[in-house]
Amino acid sequence: MPAERLLDDNVLLEELRNGSSEAVEALFERFHGKIYGLAMSILKNESDAEEASQDVFLTVFQKAHTFKGNSALYSWIYRICVNACLMRLRGKRRQETVSIEEFMPVFTEDGMHTSPVEDWSKEVERKMLDKELGHVIKKFTDDLSEKYRVVFVLSDVEGLSNEETAQILGLTVPAVKSRLHRARLYLREQLTRYLREGKTE
Amino acid sequence: MNCKELVYLLGDYLDGSMEEQLRRDLDDHLVMCESCTKFVQTYDKTKLICRQIRLTEIPEEFRERLNSFVIQKAREHHKGLEKYQKMAAEEQKRQVENLLQAFQEQRLAPSLSLLFDTHRDRCETCGGFLRYLNGGGEPKSCPEEIEEHFAEFLDAIPPGEEPYLS
Repeated sequence: MPAERLLDDNVLLEELRNGSSEAVEALFERFHGKIYGLAMSILKNESDAEEASQDVFLTVFQKAHTFKGNSALYSWIYRICVNACLMRLRGKRRQETVSIEEFMPVFTEDGMHTSPVEDWSKEVERKMLDKELGHVIKKFTDDLSEKYRVVFVLSDVEGLSNEETAQILGLTVPAVKSRLHRARLYLREQLTRYLREGKTE
Repeated sequence: MNCKELVYLLGDYLDGSMEEQLRRDLDDHLVMCESCTKFVQTYDKTKLICRQIRLTEIPEEFRERLNSFVIQKAREHHKGLEKYQKMAAEEQKRQVENLLQAFQEQRLAPSLSLLFDTHRDRCETCGGFLRYLNGGGEPKSCPEEIEEHFAEFLDAIPPGEEPYLS
């Protein structure tokens, strides 16, 4: 276990700058899981995620002296991670993603739901611990284009505030909220179809 | 408010950032619209279920490989930094020695001369050392704490301007 003082962001960074190997270990322990997981959710490929994670640590070493402590260390590192992943995506052919539009709710001209809305909220409670449901949701999120996926992962999976997500991604808070809302509408619709048909489409 | 507007505003409604009047309108709509009530319930539930998704865990093999990578790179990076800092420190020491040598031999460019004169009156430590140099003291014996002051003089010269008289 790393020493307690290293739980303080500024102490950790200070010791990192001084080349303390204990600080390197503490940094690794604290962040490697998050970094890899986040990279995996953006890149969806193990070896890409591994390389991106390496990039993140290298950047942290190189830029440790620029960390001012205005934001939390984790959000600084998440930002580095998102950027490292997007750099990697840039060179690649985009993976096929679903068109989110097909999953947006449809309304009549006077703004009413076109078809009856089913309430599966009780039904799904019984399935909450169901492994399959977990896999299915993961697949649905993976199918989202990264524009929505990254926001969704940071806010709804990692539980960051909209402000933090906005800061990490360099977006405005309204942009984060709007993407998040659309991602949830998409997932809600996917879940509705899945539960109705009992299978993924 | 109609169903479409309600769905559009749902995010704000559930995160509590909606203004009071809109919230009342939305609540009024919910009371009479079964579809929207169900929609809100399933939307909210979607959020809840998604909380259960975990980020992909790092496989043990990757973890170990990443760990050795990080430790090694941290070491290399620090060594590189130390080397660079040492070089920078030696370079500064050399430059300050040249500067003080020039001061002693009265070869300073006018702008530097002026800096020396003003600083000498303000800074006791430097003043003392400069008098020592004037008395034939050794420029190499410049104490570290005032080396910084003289190094700043060099930074203060406008780019392109020669520090020393030829």
